[in-house]
Amino acid sequence: MKSDNLALSLLCAALPLALLAALASGPVAVDLGAALREGWRGDSSDAVILWQLRLPRALLAILVGAALGLGGAAMQGMLRNPLAEPALLGVSSGAALAAILLLYYGSALRAGWGAAWQSGWLLPALAIAGAFCAVACVWLLAGRGASASRLVLAGVAINAFLSALMALALNYAPSMFAMQEIVFWLLGSLANRGWDQLLLALPFVLVGGLLLYCARNYLRALSLGEASAASLGFRGHRYPLLVLLGIASAVGAAVAVAGTIGFVGLVVPHLMRPLVNQDPGRLLWSSALAGALLLLLADIVVINFVGAQELRIGAVTAFIGAPFFFWLIVSARRGQQL
Amino acid sequence: MTNRRKLEISCLQLGLERRHQRVLTDINCTFKPYELTAVVGPNGAGKSSLLQCLAGVLVPSGGRIELDGLPAEQVSAAERARFGAYLPQSETPAWSLRAADLVALGLLPWGRPRDREARVSAALQLVDAQPLAERPVTQLSGGELRRVQLARLLVGEAPLLIADEPTAALDIRHQLQLMQNFRSQADAGKTVVLALHDLSLAARYCDRILLLQDGRLRAQGTPEDVFTPPLIGDVYGVSCEFRWRNGVADFVPLDLL
Repeated sequence: MKSDNLALSLLCAALPLALLAALASGPVAVDLGAALREGWRGDSSDAVILWQLRLPRALLAILVGAALGLGGAAMQGMLRNPLAEPALLGVSSGAALAAILLLYYGSALRAGWGAAWQSGWLLPALAIAGAFCAVACVWLLAGRGASASRLVLAGVAINAFLSALMALALNYAPSMFAMQEIVFWLLGSLANRGWDQLLLALPFVLVGGLLLYCARNYLRALSLGEASAASLGFRGHRYPLLVLLGIASAVGAAVAVAGTIGFVGLVVPHLMRPLVNQDPGRLLWSSALAGALLLLLADIVVINFVGAQELRIGAVTAFIGAPFFFWLIVSARRGQQL
Repeated sequence: MTNRRKLEISCLQLGLERRHQRVLTDINCTFKPYELTAVVGPNGAGKSSLLQCLAGVLVPSGGRIELDGLPAEQVSAAERARFGAYLPQSETPAWSLRAADLVALGLLPWGRPRDREARVSAALQLVDAQPLAERPVTQLSGGELRRVQLARLLVGEAPLLIADEPTAALDIRHQLQLMQNFRSQADAGKTVVLALHDLSLAARYCDRILLLQDGRLRAQGTPEDVFTPPLIGDVYGVSCEFRWRNGVADFVPLDLL
């Protein structure tokens, strides 16, 4: 127990260190101390790079990572399944499809909605709306009083349908440029994001976090099964709805500003579960913490990667995620679990 | 937040339909404090459904349930959870929680009481499972897990205890210990309702027997009233014998009818 708490405290301590490392990384060497002293309104190039480029990007990595980790933990808790991830409910594909449609018809819209397009909030705002629409469809399809397994089935169905629409959109992309934009968006990226995106996503992630925090005891009770949870006072569709809306809000906002970044929601809760005695309640905040750290570290890799093309963060998290599963299977083989 | 020490729960013409099938029909019965009641009947008679209705897990489709004369619909889910604790027939933990943490989940309806750890270890002691406290529940044997789950049932302050086949998977020592536990809970004023398959245990420890057949209440009364070879023969389709020795009932099924 002691060592688990130590590991959690180390993670807490690692986050500010990683933040510093992220602020120090980049193609240009920046005198961090001077830029910090100069403050928010400083107009030297160092201060602008720090305050307008690196800090919002690093904070966005933390926010998005936390949302994905939190969403994954909530999803696995609600479905009582360690292989669940937020994308299963169609949240990500809902957000992605909305974004794709905008990128698709972007050139037409760019003329009319020039100002909104320029400020960079139109795409994320639409993507968040897309995430909520997807979850609403899942909820309606599953019907009243749906069990977790029916919710999953509904999620898989909606997800498959949205993926088909995405494939169609890619198929008929108006130009190579639009197609490239869509594909890169799907890979996820934190590059060229600023305070606008951060401030847009922040309230949604906070509200989502709050909803999931309110549902923590439901997730705990649910570790005994649905009947037992009902007998412990968690009856009716109020609690599943709370979790769904929480996931849609937090993960939808994360996908909206950063694209679909896989594996974080799946892997992080797995890693954290042993550290919190498998408690689905404490898993929420610890997964948020670890998700933030993981994505920040992944973004540091991205920033320091030198190549002709920008390395997409979705590829980095997948490279971290896949070996994790190899390790999981190998350790299960050794322990003959699973 | 009300904490009741005693609770009387009644079913009035209770009916239940699931997936367009009649599961329970016209059940009238009352469970009182200080009473240990066994719900018995063949497979598919509706025992588990009745228990789930009593626990508030299933909502009856006809008739009603009253808690101390108050219609159950008027009681909030959270309050209902403080009235009655329920252990389903099979409960598979999704995560490998520590046994003590699983037991502590039984306290969820009461928030986070200060003496949480003391209560958890007292409940574990009751079912002879204290050495298991730190073990992950997925590493426990079936019987050990069942005892830990029973501790989860007993850890709260609910005046009504409902358990579905609590003795299944337990060895004979722990079966006796468990029934003695429920007996002393009832003697202390709790209302205890158990679904049982073991008619000997039911006859020996319970004050009252509810015999279900095809979703209807076939008979209710003391063990001596209900456990008669003709009635049991008719409901279960077996010829049988009840031998009473020093208050210990011995049920012997003889042959198929």
